[in-house]
Amino acid sequence: MTTTLHKPAELEQTVPPARTTRPKRLGQRAVGFFMALPPILLIAIFVGFPIVLAFGFSIGLTGGLNHTIATIGQNVHEADSWWGTLAAYQEMFTNKRFLGDLLVTVIVTLASTATVIFLALGIGLYLKLKGGRMARLLSGLAIVPLFIPVVIASWAILTFYSGTGFLRSVFALFGLDFPVWAFTMVTVIIGSVWTSLPFAVLMVSSGLQSVPNAMIEAARDAGAGSLRTIVSVIVPMAAVPIIIATTFTAIGIVGSFTVPYFTGPNSPNMLGVDMSNYFSAFNQPQQSAVMAFTVFLIASGIAALYVWANFRSAKEQGKA
Amino acid sequence: MAVTTASRTRRPLTLGSIVRGAVVGLFVVLMVVFILGPLLWLGVRAFAGNWTFPNLLPDDWTLRWWQVVVNDGALGIAVQNSLFFAPLTVLVSAIICLPAAYAFARFDFPGRRFFLISLFATNAFPKMGLFVTLAALFYALNLMNTVLGILVVHVLGTVVFMTWIPAAAFAAVPRNLEEAARDAGASTLRVFASVTLPMALPGIIVAAVMSFLASFDEAQGTYLVGAPAFMTMPTQMYSLVLNYPTQVAAVFSILLAIPSVALMLAAHKHILGGQLAEGFQIK
Repeated sequence: MTTTLHKPAELEQTVPPARTTRPKRLGQRAVGFFMALPPILLIAIFVGFPIVLAFGFSIGLTGGLNHTIATIGQNVHEADSWWGTLAAYQEMFTNKRFLGDLLVTVIVTLASTATVIFLALGIGLYLKLKGGRMARLLSGLAIVPLFIPVVIASWAILTFYSGTGFLRSVFALFGLDFPVWAFTMVTVIIGSVWTSLPFAVLMVSSGLQSVPNAMIEAARDAGAGSLRTIVSVIVPMAAVPIIIATTFTAIGIVGSFTVPYFTGPNSPNMLGVDMSNYFSAFNQPQQSAVMAFTVFLIASGIAALYVWANFRSAKEQGKA
Repeated sequence: MAVTTASRTRRPLTLGSIVRGAVVGLFVVLMVVFILGPLLWLGVRAFAGNWTFPNLLPDDWTLRWWQVVVNDGALGIAVQNSLFFAPLTVLVSAIICLPAAYAFARFDFPGRRFFLISLFATNAFPKMGLFVTLAALFYALNLMNTVLGILVVHVLGTVVFMTWIPAAAFAAVPRNLEEAARDAGASTLRVFASVTLPMALPGIIVAAVMSFLASFDEAQGTYLVGAPAFMTMPTQMYSLVLNYPTQVAAVFSILLAIPSVALMLAAHKHILGGQLAEGFQIK
């Protein structure tokens, strides 16, 4: 497959910004820079700066702006050398509760992301290859959660799978006993899948739609079966949007709070929930910060994949 | 959206096609139950009196929960607060982010790629962790329990939408159209107002809708920064679920879902049309 064919048609239409015939003037570059600055400053002040502060706090630097929180908080490890201390990290990574939560977080993230992408691929492929009313109905259904605030969704899902929920009622009418899924990790996974599905379906099906039909026909004419066409033609050509969908889904789930807070058990639960417990209920902000950075580490691993996928696609378009 | 197989001739019914149809049908039914089930189950509750366990419908119907919500002052204030913060957030976010979106689409400047990635970094850091760290700063800046503090939290949640989606929309406006207008004597501002902006509008609308909903749904940060001085509808949900009968929370859920559903329906063509998906690919 040549590189020219490898580009999804939709991407080709967009003109790569700023690489034009006109010579770039210094003034234009400055204007661009200053126009782009406000949101970056906002993020630097209210995201970047607090993160740096919190990182300092997590390694025991309790002076300056961290002073108040270090005084209020309990069980704070203070720095014993110029660069700080890893005592808080040591404490958490030998803490059974934290390790359990970490494991649960990883499992929920993997299971939910895999399910979401599987469903999104299934719906997207069905829409691309078969089409028709049934396919549009399916993709329409999958978008519905986008319309519903997460708080409501979590709560609705909790009641649906609760002891007096729909599934239990239906099974009880036939004299069967269905397990109570509310307040277990099963509902957390169900809730995560439910809330993440629309974005993944939009992303994946838009990627699949931009695979040229001629390519699929060509593969079929060459004797490739449906499965073979999907695995070696369609999915590789839509790889970038699929990777973007996967990373955003995983990042959203790994740091989620509302879904596990409403639908999950008290313990072990996902780190987002325990983070807030340690911060407010247990008043141990430093331990909470350690959790935040653990989640951040996982998320940035996933994020690296996203950035790589994007730059690969940019390169394919002759940029970068 | 052309579909290759649609033009093919219909094949006669075989066992295989029946099985395939049944599998697809079963999948659709499961998806309907999975997606719509919880919403319907909750929706019915808003009109339910007593409900005996294994029955699929309530024993009697009532509107009294709606009255409870309408007459409850705290809930009314939460509705007002939500309707105050969401439009304000969209406005502020648009003022801050739209020029940046245009710059990302049209100018090449030092740090462009770094800027794009740092916008993305906001998304990678866990929200709860972020709010926990933000709280320390807000105490120092006296932003706790203030309108400005909540506004900052809400706008932070919209930056990615308001920058990326319009940036992709601006980038998709053909340059030669702009240049043609300029050659015909239109000023830069005029070109922007009568060529670029109208063509990028669907993307901007999608961004505004997503931002409105992000603000409207924001619960964790608002709760941490604003409660109990400023309760919005989602933060009120947290206490509703614990302190009120489930039916009241169900009524409130329906109220909370109305603006989302209305806005999404209004913009769904553009959202499904790829404006959202397009925005999430850094270029």
